[in-house]
Amino acid sequence: MLVDGLVEAVRLLLTGDQDTWSITGLTLRVSLTATAGALLLGVPLGTGLALGRFRGRRVLLAAANTGMGMPPVVVGLFVTVLLWRSGPLGALGLLYTPTAMMIAQAAIATPVVTALTAAAMQQVDPDFLVQMRALGATRLRALLALLAEARLPLLAAGLAGFGAVVSEVGAAQMVGGNLAGETRVLTTAAVLATGRGQFALAIAFGLVLLVIAFAVNLAITLAQQRATVRQPR
Amino acid sequence: MSIGCRNLVVTAGRRELLAVPALDVTAGETVAVLGPNGAGKSTLLRALAMVGGGQLRGEIRLDGRPAGTAALRAAVAAVLQRPILQRATVLDNVAAGLRLRGVRRSAARGRAHPWLAALGITQLADRDARTLSGGEAQRVAIARALAVAPRVLLLDEPLTGLDATTRADLLADLRSVLQQLGAAVLIVTHDRDEARALAQRTVLLINGRIRQIGSTPTVLDAPADLDCAALLGYTTRLPPALTGHPTMLVARPERCRLLGPTAADPPAALVVPGTLRRVVPLGGTTRVDIDTSAQPVSVLTTAEVNEVAGARVRLAVDVDDVRECPPGPGASAVGDCGTPDREEPAAAGGPGCAEGRPRSRGRPTRRHLR
Repeated sequence: MLVDGLVEAVRLLLTGDQDTWSITGLTLRVSLTATAGALLLGVPLGTGLALGRFRGRRVLLAAANTGMGMPPVVVGLFVTVLLWRSGPLGALGLLYTPTAMMIAQAAIATPVVTALTAAAMQQVDPDFLVQMRALGATRLRALLALLAEARLPLLAAGLAGFGAVVSEVGAAQMVGGNLAGETRVLTTAAVLATGRGQFALAIAFGLVLLVIAFAVNLAITLAQQRATVRQPR
Repeated sequence: MSIGCRNLVVTAGRRELLAVPALDVTAGETVAVLGPNGAGKSTLLRALAMVGGGQLRGEIRLDGRPAGTAALRAAVAAVLQRPILQRATVLDNVAAGLRLRGVRRSAARGRAHPWLAALGITQLADRDARTLSGGEAQRVAIARALAVAPRVLLLDEPLTGLDATTRADLLADLRSVLQQLGAAVLIVTHDRDEARALAQRTVLLINGRIRQIGSTPTVLDAPADLDCAALLGYTTRLPPALTGHPTMLVARPERCRLLGPTAADPPAALVVPGTLRRVVPLGGTTRVDIDTSAQPVSVLTTAEVNEVAGARVRLAVDVDDVRECPPGPGASAVGDCGTPDREEPAAAGGPGCAEGRPRSRGRPTRRHLR
């Protein structure tokens, strides 16, 4: 059955099955947008937690670390309640839309990016910012230099955030509703196909998911390696 | 351009780290700040660059006028104690200071090249900065600061942690570069040889206070008080009870000699009898601890020591090598580097600070010796 499923999966992909490719496209759009949102929120938050000196900083760091392991179903539940027709943001009419999925997935990835960004910043020499300022940098330029210095672990943070959202199914199912042609992504489609006994289709979705995950990881790993200048002594 | 400060106070919480009433470094001048660990040297440097932690009060001045952060950023470049380099090639690191000031990459690289040559690191231009040795990294850090053409250069112990050969080479290169730079340079160090080699004036900073300030040869040769004496290597202390002199006399232990039982007293020398307590070989030199009737004293000698513990010996030191030294401000015991607790007439460095050689102090005369 597994071999048959693999053969069918390859056939579906090679023949350009319309549904498969539209689901793949939506998956990429939702996951990459959610990751970008998580980076926009998480990098400043993580930087602030790493460099800031304020009361409650350690508690917030611990909260961010805890958030890394937050079950997507719980996040999905909260976002659903928020976006429910009678909920606080119900008037926006976002539930069961790709936007809702992006919000939920960004909420999943943000703690991951925040915690890993804080860890990345704390790995840089504590006097790095002082030295940049002592060379004449403005606060902003010094901060950008710090981000550039921590670019490799920051890329890893982005990678981890993307990995967390592209593979999750619980939140996407709850806030997206798995509507065909609208909010169906690879993970929810794979779950549905498996439930219907369409194993070839489910395996095809799984394969595409693996290829996407590998491609994104490969791209970022190559970027990391290019950024790592190594010269023989 | 000159840099200076007035009534500069740095605190961390309720603890006062630094209190400097006045300090100025003029254009083309190099001033060394010499002090023991924890004296506040780096705090002073960071305060002058306005990059330090803690609360800063007082005034930082450029060309005699109060300066804001933006003016200081434009004029000052500082090198911290550890060379903090970026994840990039040596060339890009040397260009980094210019890039941080908004210079385009190609222009910054072009302006960085001469400084690679000046610091002798041209051959390292394409190397990953993280593969450098300590000495090479320090050269890169200095070249990076020089490349921005600072009008004020602040160096925090630039030669610390380097092996003797590397240190000597970098010291020579640094001296040459500073002579041509024409900037106001403040160099923090705990090494008096560095001060002697690089600085026209020297400031002795102890417990966050300037205790002595003046031309480098004068300061290094005439400590104002016992704390300054200890800092400058005058660690052999001869109290009045031993010498009959009204104040404490100090000498460098390497300038003291051990006399055998049959040797005649040398002329124009202070001779103190005692009992040899121990002999400690220190590689090239030997430390000899002697118990006298007042307190233990130490001698550093390169000569062979044949006497054994318990032997009666005599310590001799030429009159020219002895300095008079009152206790430091607030010091009640030998070796106490306490915070000043009494007001003295304000000198350039404020209360408790001596300017150059104190008038009332100097070398003891023969009549003081017995």
